[in-house]
Amino acid sequence: MDIYLCSKRPSWLVDNRRMRTTSDFQWLLSAFVLLYLMNHVNSQRKETPYDLKCTTNNLQTWDCSWKAPSEAGHGTLSEFCIDNRSRSCYQLARTNIEIPALSRGDHEITIRSLQDAGSSTSKFILNEKNISLIPDTPEILNLSADFSTSTLHVKWNDKGSVYPRHSNVIWEIKILRKKSMELVKLVTHNTTLNGKDAVHHWSWVSDLPLECATHYVGIRCYVDNLLFSGHKEWSDWSPVKNVSWTPASQPKVFPQDKVILVGSDITFCCVSQEKVLSAQIGSTYCPLIHLDGENVAIKIRNISVSDSSGTNVVFMIEDNVCGTVVFAGYPPDTPQKLNCETHDLKEIICSWNPGRPTGLVGPRNTSYTLFEGFSGKYVRFKRVEVSTNESYHQLLFQMVPNQEIYNFTLYARNPLGRSQSTILVNITEKVYPHTPTSFKVKDINSTAVILSWHLPGSFAKINLLCQIEIKKINSVQELRNVTIKGVENSSYRIAVGKLNPYTVYTFRIRCSTETFWKWSKWSNKKQHLTTEAIPSKGPDTWREWSSDGKNLIIYWKIWAFFSEAYKGPEDFMNPISLALHDLQTEQAVGMGKGILLTWHHDPNMTCDYVIKWCNSSRSEPCLMDWRKVPSNSTEALIQSDQFRPGVRYNFFLYGCRNQGYQLLRSIIGYIEELAPIVAPNFTVEDTSADSILVKWEDIPVEELRGFLRGYLFYFEKGERDTSKMRDLESGRSDIKVKNITDISQKTLRIADLQGKTSYHLVLRAYTDGGMGPEKSMFVVTKENSVGLIIAILIPVAVAVIVGVVTSILCYRKREWIKETFYPDIPNPENCKALQFQKSVCEGSGALKTLEMNPCTPNNVEVLETRSTFPKIEDTEIISPVAECPEDSSDAEPENHVVVSYCPPIIEEEIPNPAGDEAGGTSQVIYIDVQSMYQPQAKPEEEHEKDPGGGAGYKPQMHLPINATVEDIAAEDDLDKTAGYRPQANVNTWNLVSPDSPRSTDSNSEIVSFGSPCSINSRQFLIPPKDEDSPQSNGGGWSFTNFFQNKPND
Amino acid sequence: MSRREGSLEDPQADSSVSLLPHLEAKIRQTHSLAHLLTKYAEQLLQEYVQHQGDPFGLPGFSPPRLPVAGLSAPAPSQAGLPLPERLRLDAAALAALPPMLDAVRRRQAELNPHAPRLLRHLEDAARQARALGAAVETVLAALGAAARGPRPEPPAAATAAGVFPAKVLGLRVCGLYRDWVSRTEGDLSQLVPGGPA
Repeated sequence: MDIYLCSKRPSWLVDNRRMRTTSDFQWLLSAFVLLYLMNHVNSQRKETPYDLKCTTNNLQTWDCSWKAPSEAGHGTLSEFCIDNRSRSCYQLARTNIEIPALSRGDHEITIRSLQDAGSSTSKFILNEKNISLIPDTPEILNLSADFSTSTLHVKWNDKGSVYPRHSNVIWEIKILRKKSMELVKLVTHNTTLNGKDAVHHWSWVSDLPLECATHYVGIRCYVDNLLFSGHKEWSDWSPVKNVSWTPASQPKVFPQDKVILVGSDITFCCVSQEKVLSAQIGSTYCPLIHLDGENVAIKIRNISVSDSSGTNVVFMIEDNVCGTVVFAGYPPDTPQKLNCETHDLKEIICSWNPGRPTGLVGPRNTSYTLFEGFSGKYVRFKRVEVSTNESYHQLLFQMVPNQEIYNFTLYARNPLGRSQSTILVNITEKVYPHTPTSFKVKDINSTAVILSWHLPGSFAKINLLCQIEIKKINSVQELRNVTIKGVENSSYRIAVGKLNPYTVYTFRIRCSTETFWKWSKWSNKKQHLTTEAIPSKGPDTWREWSSDGKNLIIYWKIWAFFSEAYKGPEDFMNPISLALHDLQTEQAVGMGKGILLTWHHDPNMTCDYVIKWCNSSRSEPCLMDWRKVPSNSTEALIQSDQFRPGVRYNFFLYGCRNQGYQLLRSIIGYIEELAPIVAPNFTVEDTSADSILVKWEDIPVEELRGFLRGYLFYFEKGERDTSKMRDLESGRSDIKVKNITDISQKTLRIADLQGKTSYHLVLRAYTDGGMGPEKSMFVVTKENSVGLIIAILIPVAVAVIVGVVTSILCYRKREWIKETFYPDIPNPENCKALQFQKSVCEGSGALKTLEMNPCTPNNVEVLETRSTFPKIEDTEIISPVAECPEDSSDAEPENHVVVSYCPPIIEEEIPNPAGDEAGGTSQVIYIDVQSMYQPQAKPEEEHEKDPGGGAGYKPQMHLPINATVEDIAAEDDLDKTAGYRPQANVNTWNLVSPDSPRSTDSNSEIVSFGSPCSINSRQFLIPPKDEDSPQSNGGGWSFTNFFQNKPND
Repeated sequence: MSRREGSLEDPQADSSVSLLPHLEAKIRQTHSLAHLLTKYAEQLLQEYVQHQGDPFGLPGFSPPRLPVAGLSAPAPSQAGLPLPERLRLDAAALAALPPMLDAVRRRQAELNPHAPRLLRHLEDAARQARALGAAVETVLAALGAAARGPRPEPPAAATAAGVFPAKVLGLRVCGLYRDWVSRTEGDLSQLVPGGPA
């Protein structure tokens, strides 16, 4: 507080309340005056006392000080006056004064400096607001350290007696570490002063073990008094105090064997006088934090749960190792499923599940204490080091006499925390008896026994509820509950009745209390045979006359022991004879192992009904069993282990009247129907062209295995090896099916069939149990003779009619036909071109191989010979060659010259220059087949001209081209040969081809060879490349194609 | 030297001398026991290390062989001692080992209560060390070289302040047990006829 003002020069700072009430104008004016006065004060500073400051440390006195004028020497007196209601002045030889705290408001302070040269006076306005509250510096009374917990304890006095009550004090404590005094913690601590001196404590846990480094502590305070309006300031820091640890000669690691919570952070340090090389936790190396000297530390964050023996922290020093073990785990979980019960009302067993494992074992394991609230007794849980069942703990608590209600609290505690569970029990309702022992059975009589057992416990005040299991062989077990009064001697016995005589029973027992909590475990089983007793009734009987009526057969049944069999009024009544044919046999089908028979109530039946049954396939006497039912019944479910599905049984219902039993109904039935196991045996009785009559036989009852419901008859076209009737159930459309539901029907005629056709027939029977197997047969229908006859006669008749009509027409048009088809043939004798030399074809026997006989040219036109060489014009083929023989033979029977076609004939192609043709020369072209297809016999030039010569016909021999006409066969031979017969003497023919190379080479009688047959064989005679002769090509080609395609015809 | 005098100062010179059958059988039996316990001791050391956590089981971690109060390690300098003297040292060490092994077992029971095999082997080791020591003393007595004077009381079981020093101490005790059993086997082998002279 440096504000000090002279009262003569009022300041806005001193009287700021006034300033706040002035107008703006006044404020500006005052500011101006203030500046002036300040300047004036400064100019007078050294002439009057100045710089008055007042503080307080206890709110009761103010310490004011000022500065004396500059000319005032040491020892100058000053007068300090407080102007209030009673002016107080103090003569001082110093420049400070302690005055009682002034009341609120402004106070004028006059300080006059009494100097030799005179006095100078200064006036100040002093207000509490200008006072600073600066508490005295606190002092730490004691600083101690708990090294095991790394805790610092600070103790100091608040000196509250010097302050008004209810002042709040804020303490600020600083923790410094290492010799360099690094600030590691700065905390505040609030207290309230109560007018008396009080010692305060504050503790702080260091993250670094206190042994690792020197720790320093300092403190200061701040008094917050609400009644004081002046400035409040922090006190000065107290002198620091420190704690340190004197290291031993051996290096050591801190903290030692610490138990911490999993996931927390922890710092380890090694206090060593040697250099620490490395540090590791487990197998993980950690960076070193260097402290004072050679001391180092490592910081572990988020530590994980430790192994059983803890986590090792090791510091490696030269030639040495030091370390510690940290145990990271969890505080004890709340004990779960705490339950208290007793076996014997002497000792209470409280068990619980410890919950989440703590990860701590040994001395760090959780300890449990069971405390009972009403009695104040408690028991502690003995730690089991080698526990095989960690999930279940239990404690025994001795019951307090005459106390039934217990209030148990289970406390769990380990180094990391504690937890608890509470349970309030009425122990008489939580009895879980021991297992009954010494269980024995003794006979009373044939239907009752005594059971005795031993059940330890003090149950005299309660009732026990025991359950007895009674089990007979091949019977369901029976449980009987009995309530017995508890006893002290633990021996119990009860009687068990309603047993069957001479029956083996198995007994066992278990007990609880009447206020049920838990059954004990079952005692050992005890097997016991009850004693025998006299029979209570006679056997169940039935008697029948044999089929021949000469023997009476008596049946009886041994009663099961004490079964609830119906007892008829007269077991030996004779059944009244009643012919079966008077009754209509009914059908019935059961379910599973039984069959339900119903009948109408008959008031005449006064005794009972008897139903007997037997297997229908068995021979007489047929009786499997019988059963009696009361007379008021109208139905009976007949069951027997002997019933088998698929077996037909006969059931007979007898009604009892006074004079005996009367057969009322006869029923055949199946417990369960099955499919037949055989197919009906069927035969074909008759077969016609369009129908088949099939006949089949009945299936034996044993193989039917149900009531026959019908037959399914399938048929389709097909032979034995080709029939596709494999899957009859697929519903194929080509398989026809007839369902014969009339089981009396034994034949079936299949109509509308095709004649002489194989049919596949299949027959199978079915019951409600399913389809039986199939039996198949292949039958061929007979041929339809009428149709065949009609099919033959109609074409014959048509052919006859056509023939007759054609004959008539031909007869009427015979002249025209002759003119058209058989014109007169001119005499070819003058045609030299057709003078064949016999030797041509006679030279080779192979000439006859392709002989086409008879062959007569249809038209041969002979032209004038214009040169020395006879020229033969090409022959036009008009009629098919097939007609040739008849025509030629008819036309020229005498002059028939057979000219065989000789395929191996050497082609003699006759060049036909255009000039010659243009010159009107006519020619006959003989084309040698051999030369055509054997280019080696031709000049190269010709070979090149015939690129297609490589394909086609290949003659098998070479006919010499220089063969003369003299070599041609004699006329006799020719007559023997079918084929073309030239109409002139072939010897007169001049076989000269002007185009033949050899013809051109010779002008003599040697002529080119050519066969007249080639006229009809244009295929071979005309070169394929001869496109300039379409006329000859086209006609010959079509014809020869027809010819060649029928070589065998 | 007469055997009747109970002195065996130069057993190596006497090794060729045939021993009495029952003494030979006893030596062979004791040697076999020492041989067997040598294997057990090695297994015990391995098992002990396994239950102490890292870095005990890690290669390269070898805490210094701190001295154990009341029991020193077999020193190479003792090789020059007469065989009876060495056997006396063996017997003394074997007598000192059981309480130490028991102390280790008790500490391990706190640290590893769920390691019954380790605890059982530690218990067995204490019993076997005691048995082997007694057998060696019997052999010494048979050879006329029984320990002179009353046997000193076994030292109080060595204890360690912290868990880590206890682990290191246990490791050291197991190592000493192995070393002394092995040393005993070697010493006895010199008495076995046909063994190393």
